[in-house]
Amino acid sequence: MEPNKATIRSYQVGFGDCFLLTFHYPKAVNGSTERHVLIDCGSTAPPRTFKGKSFSLAPVAEHIKQTTGGKLHAVVATHRHKDHISGFATAANGKGAGDILRTLKPDLVLQPWTEDPKLPTDATKPKAGNRGSARFALGLQGMHQFSASLLGELKALEKTLSPAVIGQLSFLGEDNIANPSAVKNLMTMGKKNEYLHYGMKSGLEKLLPGVKVHVLGPPTIEQNDEIKTQTSKDPDEFWHMRGLTASAFGPGGTSPFAAKHKASGTLPPEVRWFVPRIQASRGAQLLELVRILDNQMNNTSLILLFEYGGKRLLFPGDAQLENWNHALKDAKEAKANMKLLAGTDLYKVGHHGSLNATPRTLWALFNKKKKGNRKAQLQTLLSTRPGKHGSTASRTEVPRKTLLNELETKSQLLNTDALKNGTECHVVEL
Amino acid sequence: MDNRHSPRTRKLTVVAQDPSVRKADGSILTACVSVPYEDMGEGPTGYRVQVVDFDASSNSLMKPWTPRDDGADPFGPTAAGKTVTDAEILGDPKFHQQNVYAIVMRTLARFELALGRRVSWSFGGHQLKVAPHAFTDANAFYSKEDEGLFFGYFATPDAKGKAKTIFSCLSHDVVAHETSHALLDGLRERYTDPSSPDQAAFHEGFSDIVALLSVFSIKEVIEQLVHRDQGNKKRVAGDWLTAKGIAEGPLFALAKEMGQEMAQVRGEALRHSTELQPRKGILREAEFMEPHRRGEVLVAAVLGALTTIWADRISGLAKDADGTLDVARVVDEGRVIADRLLTMCIRALDYCPPVHLTFADYLSALLTADREVNPDDERFHLRDHIRSSFGSFGIAPASKYGGAEAGVWGEPVKEDHGDIIYDRTHFEPMQRDRDEVFRFIWENRKALRLRVGAFTRVQSVRPCVRIGEDGFTLRETVAEYVQILRLDPDELAELGYTDPGEKVLPRDREVFMYGGGVLIFDEYGRLKFHVHNRLNNTTRQSERLKYLGSIGYYENLRPKRKSPAKLSPFGLLHLTRALNGTRARAGCECHPGLEHHTHDLDDDGTE
Repeated sequence: MEPNKATIRSYQVGFGDCFLLTFHYPKAVNGSTERHVLIDCGSTAPPRTFKGKSFSLAPVAEHIKQTTGGKLHAVVATHRHKDHISGFATAANGKGAGDILRTLKPDLVLQPWTEDPKLPTDATKPKAGNRGSARFALGLQGMHQFSASLLGELKALEKTLSPAVIGQLSFLGEDNIANPSAVKNLMTMGKKNEYLHYGMKSGLEKLLPGVKVHVLGPPTIEQNDEIKTQTSKDPDEFWHMRGLTASAFGPGGTSPFAAKHKASGTLPPEVRWFVPRIQASRGAQLLELVRILDNQMNNTSLILLFEYGGKRLLFPGDAQLENWNHALKDAKEAKANMKLLAGTDLYKVGHHGSLNATPRTLWALFNKKKKGNRKAQLQTLLSTRPGKHGSTASRTEVPRKTLLNELETKSQLLNTDALKNGTECHVVEL
Repeated sequence: MDNRHSPRTRKLTVVAQDPSVRKADGSILTACVSVPYEDMGEGPTGYRVQVVDFDASSNSLMKPWTPRDDGADPFGPTAAGKTVTDAEILGDPKFHQQNVYAIVMRTLARFELALGRRVSWSFGGHQLKVAPHAFTDANAFYSKEDEGLFFGYFATPDAKGKAKTIFSCLSHDVVAHETSHALLDGLRERYTDPSSPDQAAFHEGFSDIVALLSVFSIKEVIEQLVHRDQGNKKRVAGDWLTAKGIAEGPLFALAKEMGQEMAQVRGEALRHSTELQPRKGILREAEFMEPHRRGEVLVAAVLGALTTIWADRISGLAKDADGTLDVARVVDEGRVIADRLLTMCIRALDYCPPVHLTFADYLSALLTADREVNPDDERFHLRDHIRSSFGSFGIAPASKYGGAEAGVWGEPVKEDHGDIIYDRTHFEPMQRDRDEVFRFIWENRKALRLRVGAFTRVQSVRPCVRIGEDGFTLRETVAEYVQILRLDPDELAELGYTDPGEKVLPRDREVFMYGGGVLIFDEYGRLKFHVHNRLNNTTRQSERLKYLGSIGYYENLRPKRKSPAKLSPFGLLHLTRALNGTRARAGCECHPGLEHHTHDLDDDGTE
């Protein structure tokens, strides 16, 4: 049996992602005519319309509970950034968004291979011959350590650096720190967990009859070296060293010297010209490092293409060019993949509308965009909040002006940023 | 007080290479190096360097190094013979401050000695600022904008996997390398422009050559490398001291030591350089198009000369009946050769074109620089070895000038280009005045074959005095000029350049073409050399366009922007006067009530 319709809900979570995908069947299968898949649930900044003090995803989780009648068939956590998984964190009082989602007892939780808890994370250094995945895990640990110490260091830099730079640093730093509660919940909330890489079976075959799910990313390190090589010859080693340094001297910054060597009092005049430059240089360096880190983490995103009744729905998380390259260029099935993607009916815009996450080659492939007098058939969903990520001056603002313009003119765009206060989500039926 | 007999140099204790290089007893190998004598202030601060020990990561300022009343090295051996301890070397920031001061000053002094004049930092100011513990990160760099050097510290796992602190400011080669960037950038500011694979590689390669040869000239380091693991400290077995033996033995060991702790900061360039097997096609291999790898080839070419010359000299030393050699002599030969090579490598910069440098140009510059001061090369055959070592990596001199001294730069002006006109300029101001040199260029623009109509500027005029081996001085004046053309892509073909095509050079970008040359005048004020890369050399300029297209330079460049409206303070002042001051605003210091006025509109039309 095949579904005859799908409903996609795009929730207002500010800067983050939360999508509920529902497949409708003409007749009940195992007692129900609906199948529900939750794709991500997280936020790093409240919606622009939000007026309260602390933004919580609990109401969103509650809405999902009502909509699904208390049962999720699958959960997809595309990657471990806060803006994709914070809604899975549980609260001490048991009333957190993660506590609510947990009661929906998903049959299957899907995550990228980089989240596999079997990857050893307690090693102190990469062992010779310890290839690929294990080294990656060590690098991942270093990334979190670095992010945590970065946030500590910002206090000292606040006096010198502009609020815009501090804002960027804390935003990216927070998005990249470890979220143990959400990670643990994702690991234990479902009956089964699958950790996927390019070309694997998704494990959804039985849960979603008549739906074919293609796993288009991320590639494993062995499949694609490029995902590793964007920063240095060995980014895992790179981040491992930074993590080690962060835990030795941070957070908050510990001097490597005994206290007696420290000068006291205000800065003497002779150093006042250069000290702000050391600080500014440090700020720029941290920004560069945290951006590299952020991109690298985005590239661990799971890319899923759902196919049913001639329709195709594409959910790429925050995958960027390096992740996409495998499916579009390097894989031996690249041609077939491109053909498959060309017919996409619904595209969840990658990484909240950043330019790098919608590679030109991918956008050019979509053949249901507006063409001449033909109306746009391509549906796009953008979940974002402007003014938080990147900067207009460096042409890295999210969402990027030029991309937004393309989306608006060539597709039917639904942007969560346009949702009125009090409306939980956009609803699309396909 | 009579200061006529005050010392010219002082000795300061530094870490010989880095803290991983140990003496036989396991303690850190240190060395006493000579630096120019000056009345050092706290920091240390001197006439060319200011050490500011502020750590941005821990937000703390360290107490500064203070001079001793007697002017002696605070970390030098005491009267009782006590030397600096490892605990002090690693745990006292004042030692680190002294270490960076001494190595920066030593490197600067080395440049000044080779070039025979004061050498300026790239940023125009007098004192280079140095932060020995700027932040926690495996990084060290030179920043022109900040007029300084930044050294980070970081943790690395020790043998047991525990975190161990590494200070990049204690690595001799890292400090010398970064200082070289600051000096090279001051001498040839256009070498950081995108131009060719060679130019992209030159900054790194050159700085590594200076770093390696600087460390090599420290006696303590070479001694340890030569008689490693041998019982007799005074004698060394001679049989392995061939070019190959030296390259695979002491030189490789040194490069390895240099890479050990700093691999996270600077990769292992020096080690790779010693491992490179000479082959003529190496610079055409894809791997060596990458700037860092390509730089290693330049280092390897210089090192190749060092090992063959050293081996030559060692083979002439008297051996004992048991085949051993005197260690002191072997070490001394190595140091002298390294020192001569270093002088040659630095001096060559004066004979390099100011734009679009290639390794071939550099080789011609090396040969010319040495020939000018030391016409007689009988003792070391330095130039022959350089020629053949560069040749083994496929680098031939850019100059086709023949004769016994093949490859040196030739006559400045060919006969059919016309005579050089001297009588409209004056000898004395030609040695220091940029406007006077510009007049010389203007009057001789045809003979020098300059591009008429291009923006032209004399960047520097530098009188130098160089001392030759024969004790005589060589006086020269080095003047540098650049020419710049701003073109639309469609104009390229009209002017004879090869347009790389719309695909790699979108039509809305602006193309800047650079040309320029170095004029070297002899002690009579006559033009001796004209080392140049002309705007009119369409072949070479087109190669550059092609290269920039291939690395995606133009794609990443912003489209040509229209100028913001700008009015100079004087322009506004005159308007203000005409309007009885009604437009005057709070202003700049030099013209109260006046501000520099710019109307810069953003894309959407808002100011």
